[in-house]
Amino acid sequence: MTRMPLRSWLEERLPLADVVATLRHKRVPHHRYSVWYYFGGVTLFLFGIQVGTGALLLLYYRPSAAEAYESVQFIVTRVPFGWLVRSIHAWSANLMVASGFAHLFSVLFLHAYRRPRELTWMSGVVLLFLTLAFGFTGYLLPWNDVSFFATRVGTDIAATVPFIGRGIVRFLRGGDDVSGATLTRLFGFHVAILPSIATALVGFHLFLVQRHGMSLPPSVERQAAGDPAAMRSIPFLPHFLLRDLFAWTAMLAVLAGLATAFPTELGTKADPFAPAPAGIRPEWYFLWAFEVLKHVPANVAGLNGELVAVAAIAAGAAGALLLPFFAGQTARARRGVVWAGLAAFVFMCVMTGLALMAAAP
Amino acid sequence: MRRRHCAAAVLFACLAADAQAQSAGVSAADAFRNDVHAAAGLTCAACHPSGGPGTYQAPPRTAIAPLCATCHGDAAYMRRFDPQVRVDQHLQYQTSAHGRRMAMGDDRAATCTDCHGAHGVTRVADARSPVAPLNVTTTCARCHGDPVRMAAFGHDAAPPADWAASVHAAALLKRGDTSAPTCMACHGSHGATPPGVTAVANVCAQCHVREAELFRASPKKDIFEALGQAECLACHSNHRIEPPGDAWVGVQEGAACAQCHDASGDSGKAILGIRGELDRLSAAVSEADALLTRAERAGMPIDEGRLLLQEAREHQVQSRVLVHGFAFASLAKTAAEGQTAARRAHDVGDAAMEELDVRRRGLAVATLLVLAFLAALWMKIRRLPPAADNPPA
Amino acid sequence: MITQSDPSGGRRSVLNWLLGLWGGGVIGSVFYPVVRYLAPPDVPEATTLSVSAGSAQALLPNTGRIVPFGSRPAIVLRTVSGELRAFSATCTHLDCTVQYRPDLQGIWCACHNGQYDVNGRNVAGPPPRPLDSYDVDVSNGEIIITRRS
Repeated sequence: MTRMPLRSWLEERLPLADVVATLRHKRVPHHRYSVWYYFGGVTLFLFGIQVGTGALLLLYYRPSAAEAYESVQFIVTRVPFGWLVRSIHAWSANLMVASGFAHLFSVLFLHAYRRPRELTWMSGVVLLFLTLAFGFTGYLLPWNDVSFFATRVGTDIAATVPFIGRGIVRFLRGGDDVSGATLTRLFGFHVAILPSIATALVGFHLFLVQRHGMSLPPSVERQAAGDPAAMRSIPFLPHFLLRDLFAWTAMLAVLAGLATAFPTELGTKADPFAPAPAGIRPEWYFLWAFEVLKHVPANVAGLNGELVAVAAIAAGAAGALLLPFFAGQTARARRGVVWAGLAAFVFMCVMTGLALMAAAP
Repeated sequence: MRRRHCAAAVLFACLAADAQAQSAGVSAADAFRNDVHAAAGLTCAACHPSGGPGTYQAPPRTAIAPLCATCHGDAAYMRRFDPQVRVDQHLQYQTSAHGRRMAMGDDRAATCTDCHGAHGVTRVADARSPVAPLNVTTTCARCHGDPVRMAAFGHDAAPPADWAASVHAAALLKRGDTSAPTCMACHGSHGATPPGVTAVANVCAQCHVREAELFRASPKKDIFEALGQAECLACHSNHRIEPPGDAWVGVQEGAACAQCHDASGDSGKAILGIRGELDRLSAAVSEADALLTRAERAGMPIDEGRLLLQEAREHQVQSRVLVHGFAFASLAKTAAEGQTAARRAHDVGDAAMEELDVRRRGLAVATLLVLAFLAALWMKIRRLPPAADNPPA
Repeated sequence: MITQSDPSGGRRSVLNWLLGLWGGGVIGSVFYPVVRYLAPPDVPEATTLSVSAGSAQALLPNTGRIVPFGSRPAIVLRTVSGELRAFSATCTHLDCTVQYRPDLQGIWCACHNGQYDVNGRNVAGPPPRPLDSYDVDVSNGEIIITRRS
């Protein structure tokens, strides 16, 4: 069968011609900041890797306290390339969080959250929260000492919320303490609930990106206003796409390298009755919050210190989510956003650095 | 002599004549509540002679053992309460160092109530009993660990503290291993006497069967007997039994063998040979262990290696036991078997690390492939027509 | 697929060919591990719950055999009356490996003379607890022992 009859068969049934035509006409701005445009695609690629490796892991993993650790051990020791799939899944999770944050901060500093892209920004922030939730829920699944106690400490923090705190903790843990019930519940979140929400949101996010096209940073906009001819752009097909492919393939090589050179440890099987091992800490992307909670005094102006810290972080998150509604219209507001963003970034880096230094013997 | 009053009709209501008697009387009555004798229906009158209407006297210390023996030595009587209980305690006591002193009228020696208590007597198996396995050494130490009290008899007060520093104490008190020997295992309880020089080894032999068999088949047995040396004690001591180490075998200062031997002659050669085997085996085992742990950390399967290492460790234990045969040949054979197992464990670790290398090489190939692809892609990107034109449909 | 925009470019077609070749290689190096991963391994399940303990016929009455169970030893024995039993072979006293003694018709530990009967119960010497017992089945002439979780 030659290509043409197949093509015309498909074209009769699917809007292929429209899609291809749109893609051929689609152009992407090309300026000194356009390298940051790739981070969204890289995050999407890593999400795809997670779905793929996650599906493969699902073929052998068993989500019960009695078997989880042994099943991961089985994957890593007995299944051909199981070690590779598992380590790529773990490393890709880390890279996806990093890439997600890079994408968020680059969008922030390039002011791409402005009208009419408010919904794109908000769905993106929620997607970042979902990514962190993926990380948190997935961390427990190997059921080793470190992840068990990190989950216990992490879910304990929810208890500081007044009135509904205990309820939230019970909802997350499937009970009063971290147990096999927690494992099953977080597993359900990790492989079904979060992926469905994330997929829908990603679809929504991509649709909006397609609809509104790439945003131009204000400085480039000003340049273009002065000299329209200086506005360069490249076609999506094939220029941008090939560059995207380059980034994705390079990322794949990095993942494989990390998975082979620094494979994820199995650890020791979780023992709920053993005392917490020294030096438990959450994954690196939660370290900054962990460090904040360590440093906040027990009482702040008469209120529970932990509660104040959690409230502050929640306020920060809410601020991030609703950013387009209180900034972006004027240059002054945008400058404020840049400073706020820089401050947040530096704060998180410093806190993470402190946490890492404390952990290093 | 203290006087205590008890209301004749009510068992535990006692009135005291003076403050001291009151507290003593009340505490004795309270303690008696938990006593096995009370549970058996006995009252104060069963043991205490009457001192007048409603009062009782404490018996003199020298009379306590015979008093207890009136029941505890009567098989027909005791059968009513516990058909299996022994009734020879008093007979044993009379052969003991405590009993013989007491018989001579020296009431400083221990008698029944000093160890079992007077009014709150519970079964030996009861955890509260002063003679329960976990408590008995503390009870003995009350006198035998008291330098002043022991000096009056010309005894040393070190044994309880020495025992507390031993492996047996660690087994009993830290690991809860009630099979570990306490004072009673070697000295007896009712018949407590320091065991004779030849007798103590029989006690050790009850658990340390193999070592005793080997020793008795070895030339050392006759030598030690001729010297009047206790078998196990020469190297292991009696109370302060410390964990033995491979370094005990040798002719250097501080080694157990060096007490009698030096490096000369056949014996010196045998000692050095044995030590060499033990050291080599120990090194092989730790090397294999370190390698397997490295492989395990890297996520490689090494179950088989762990099994082999366990086998090597057991050969190591057996080699150390064979030291008590004082013969090089059999020890060398077992040590060689251990070496083989350790080497095979090491091989498993090596294979695991080799597999890691294979992965790295596979990665290198894949990376080269990707780099080649990226290079070609880069060229392709550079060669694309200028971005300003729309590419033809 | 990437279409050739310049039909006459010989260099470009070489480049495209190379691209296709290396690209195929990259895709292959992704698919090869995935395909190998999807094929079930020889031992389809983790051996932490159950292992084979050798031929049933070869185990005569009043004999025992030590077999590996994961990374710990297990002992499987046939009693004088012909019944099969299996236990953990790690002595409950100080973790030495026990053995079957036909002369004692029981399990014995060489380290401190501990003894267990054919039901794994500690009957003499220092061991404080019975041996953990495993379920025994025979399938195709092979003894399978299973941990009771």
